[in-house]
Amino acid sequence: MQASSNLLNWILWMPFIGVLGILFIPKAKETAIRVWSLINTTVTFALTLVLYAKFDTTVPGMQVPFNISVPWIKSFNIFYKLGVDGISLPMIVLTGLLFLICVLSSWTVKKQVKAYFALFLFLQSTVFGVFFAMDFFLFYVYWEVMLIPMFFLIGIWGGENREYAAVKFFLYTFLGSILMLVGMVALYYASGKGIDSFDILALQGGKFSDLTLTIFGATFSFAKLFFVFLFIGFAIKVPVFPFHTWLPHAHVQAPTAISVILAGVLLKMGTYGFLRIAFPIFPEATIYFSDAIAWLGLINVIYGAFCAMAQTDVKKLVAYSSVSHMGFVMLGLAALTVTGVNGAVLQMFNHGTSTAMMFLMIGVLYERSHHRWIVRPDGSKGFGGLYTQLPKFSIIFIIAMFASMGLPGLSGFISEALIFLGIYERFTTITVLALLGLLLGAAYLLWMFKRMFFGDVIEECKSYTDMNAREIFYMLPLCVAVIVFGIYPSPVLDVMRASVGNLVSMLAKF
Amino acid sequence: MGLNYLASLSHFVPELLACVTMFGLILIEATYKEEHKERGLFFFAAYIGFASVLTFLCLNLKHEAVAIFTNSAVIDPFSTLLKIVMVLGTMGATYLVSQSKDIEGNLRPEFTIMATGVLVGGMLLSSANNMLLLYIGIETLSILSYVLASLKKSDDRSSEAGLKYSLYGGISAGIMLFGMSHIFGVLGTINFTEIGVALQELTTVQVAILLPSFLLFLAGLGYKIACVPFHMWSPDVYEGSPIPVTTFFSVVPKVAGLAALIRITTVFFSHEGAMNMGWVGILSVIAALTMTVGNISAIGQRSVKRMLAYSSISHAGVMLLGILVISEVGIRSVVFYAITYLFMNLVAFYIVSFVNDKYGNDHFERFNGLIYRYPVMSIMMAITMFSLAGLPPFSGFVAKFHIFNAIVIKKYYVLAIIAGLNSVISMYYYMKIIRLMVLKPAESEEQISGFSLLNQGIIVSLTVPVLFLGIFWEKIMLVATNAKIFLE
Repeated sequence: MQASSNLLNWILWMPFIGVLGILFIPKAKETAIRVWSLINTTVTFALTLVLYAKFDTTVPGMQVPFNISVPWIKSFNIFYKLGVDGISLPMIVLTGLLFLICVLSSWTVKKQVKAYFALFLFLQSTVFGVFFAMDFFLFYVYWEVMLIPMFFLIGIWGGENREYAAVKFFLYTFLGSILMLVGMVALYYASGKGIDSFDILALQGGKFSDLTLTIFGATFSFAKLFFVFLFIGFAIKVPVFPFHTWLPHAHVQAPTAISVILAGVLLKMGTYGFLRIAFPIFPEATIYFSDAIAWLGLINVIYGAFCAMAQTDVKKLVAYSSVSHMGFVMLGLAALTVTGVNGAVLQMFNHGTSTAMMFLMIGVLYERSHHRWIVRPDGSKGFGGLYTQLPKFSIIFIIAMFASMGLPGLSGFISEALIFLGIYERFTTITVLALLGLLLGAAYLLWMFKRMFFGDVIEECKSYTDMNAREIFYMLPLCVAVIVFGIYPSPVLDVMRASVGNLVSMLAKF
Repeated sequence: MGLNYLASLSHFVPELLACVTMFGLILIEATYKEEHKERGLFFFAAYIGFASVLTFLCLNLKHEAVAIFTNSAVIDPFSTLLKIVMVLGTMGATYLVSQSKDIEGNLRPEFTIMATGVLVGGMLLSSANNMLLLYIGIETLSILSYVLASLKKSDDRSSEAGLKYSLYGGISAGIMLFGMSHIFGVLGTINFTEIGVALQELTTVQVAILLPSFLLFLAGLGYKIACVPFHMWSPDVYEGSPIPVTTFFSVVPKVAGLAALIRITTVFFSHEGAMNMGWVGILSVIAALTMTVGNISAIGQRSVKRMLAYSSISHAGVMLLGILVISEVGIRSVVFYAITYLFMNLVAFYIVSFVNDKYGNDHFERFNGLIYRYPVMSIMMAITMFSLAGLPPFSGFVAKFHIFNAIVIKKYYVLAIIAGLNSVISMYYYMKIIRLMVLKPAESEEQISGFSLLNQGIIVSLTVPVLFLGIFWEKIMLVATNAKIFLE
């Protein structure tokens, strides 16, 4: 097994090799930089597929052959420890795919090409780090380092108000992670049971149930207090209402590819954090707070949908639709049933593909129109009759939109159905109310579609050209993904089933 | 345990060497004529002097702790390590002086001579094992600092800084001495070790007198490390003083003050009791206030130097956290913090200084678009700023992580949260510089002469530890762990 055991290292460091490579390419050779990035992300994606192929779907928990564990800081028992299981694998493949597609979509970036692709590949490496890390300390380091390339990518290549968006994004996430840091250090010492480790697996399993702590005379349950800390840290990333206010700004201001990565991968890191860290380490607190999580999820669904409905900027609309869809993930997690959590993980994957499509399509449109108004501030239409002007674009847009809406036969439907099945037995009221969210989702998407694609062709739209071969080429894999996984989700579901079952049965003991 | 004077002297070589360096520098300076602008030999001699002090300190690092001069001073690995930090800080400031345009001509050697004097005071202070030596150390440090602050005699701001510094300093020294006399009156000794023993068995009346007297005592030390509410002088002095002086102030006196505070806290208050609770309680409040006030004041500043001055107040607050836990873990965290803070501060001040030399001020806007002209320098500055705010994988994060560790072991969760929130606030203003450097267009295409190839190389090599200690910190941490305090 020696050959495959370094696979995670290769995936993790391949983008970093890409960064180093870019540093040696002269600034002026922009095409060479693009091609190099493309080759690099292709290789990375291929490696993630190799990982998928070698993955043993029957094993619950970590895939032992791939584990890597090297002592890093011995005095603190900190390890450079990587691992993969059924929950992280779909995210890893998704990351590989989306970064590859985004390199293609970033082909038209003109400003500071070298820095852009270097930061972009660096970002990919840190994202892999978050999904692979099996040591809380390592996880934290990657979680934070990721902010640096994100800050610059939004701040330099973003829209008009990019600075504000970048700073807000940065500070919000940093605030969350500081709470996480306090929780993490407390975990290390609170164990007091001879664990003294940041190993996520060693901390798992409700070892902290009976601990209490006293602050100014008031006694708190250790698990509940620090669950809240970790929860806020991850919730900011998801984002869960009321921590979502950074998201519309960051999304609207970020360049297309970064929006895609943000919505497609980075938001999932929040829910992944729940699954990997918060839930397994504090199972009893998870049960205690699951009602609250479900209600927050519901607020996300409904609130996000209403906000989306009110938007006149199409990118902002999709951004809020992300808030709404991540609410479904939260609902599935709160269910704490096998079906619900399976649905949530599947929704994480499916939302990654469908939202990525939406953002990419808006990016394609923006390159032609240079604005994103559905209705301009002065009340005139921003787009009209695109359907007749851009047929290819429209067809792909329709696929993306319906996938996002959760139309049966497309990927969103299956995950949402699983989530509803999962939560129905525990939260009947919430299920019914959340169904309303689906309806609202259909409403704002169709309304937007009607206003942009039907009706009279406005003058400006007549000059738009349809999608070119490169654009169609990078949209195709995602189209295939949303359709295939809509009909036949087993390739994803099979991978996660054992791990999710493991997690849920562990939670069920409390 | 007392050694005779000759044997004591053999442990005191670094301090003596520093004194010799100082006097030697005065003599060399006297040989220069007025028209000699370049003072190559002078600075060469200064570096040789510092390097020899460093060498002896490094040799001392391996020795066991000893009490010398009839127990009035202690040479232990802890003080030696912090002395190394101080010497490095002095060297850094001296190099900056030789490059900076803020201080010119005669003033450069004057600075160096007096900085060496401050260094001697700081070394005494960090080794002091009785009240008198502590007081002498503080005064040696302070009096020369007043002169340093008003180094530019013709400059109003600089004179103002000097006056403010000496007024505040004089008053706080008086208060401190008043506190000391009460402590002596109650306990009948000025020796730290004996005080530490005496403090374990106290009557209620004694506690009632000692608590306020220690508070007065703390005022003097608190003033030196500029913690709230004794911080008022610091921003004005930092701003009024020439930048190399500010660089020096932000490291050497601060580290010396912290060293003394650590020694006092450890020797006096390691045992449970009313005194211990009172001291830790006061320090906790002071630490929380120091972090918060420093950070909040830093947000609104226009001048980068002033911003760094306020932020250095808040860093002192974070280091106080490591002191108030009174544990070995706490001490080693503070030592590590001081080491990393030295490098981060030097890089930040070097860059600010060179920018300031070019434009005559160091307002934030001067950094606009710096990355398009000096990409390497900007990246170094960005690394330093992220590190100061405590973002991994830089050493500032590791330092903060260790402080967090120290306070979470003691279960001071509230303090941990306050420290965490402060980290976020500080990120806001540190990021402001990065934002301006990277996201704004450049104001001009002019060259900044301070960024010569040599200076850039030095800045880069100073940044290397900032990055390196953030990933592989175990070796340095081991050194910091071995830096034990002398306890009888």
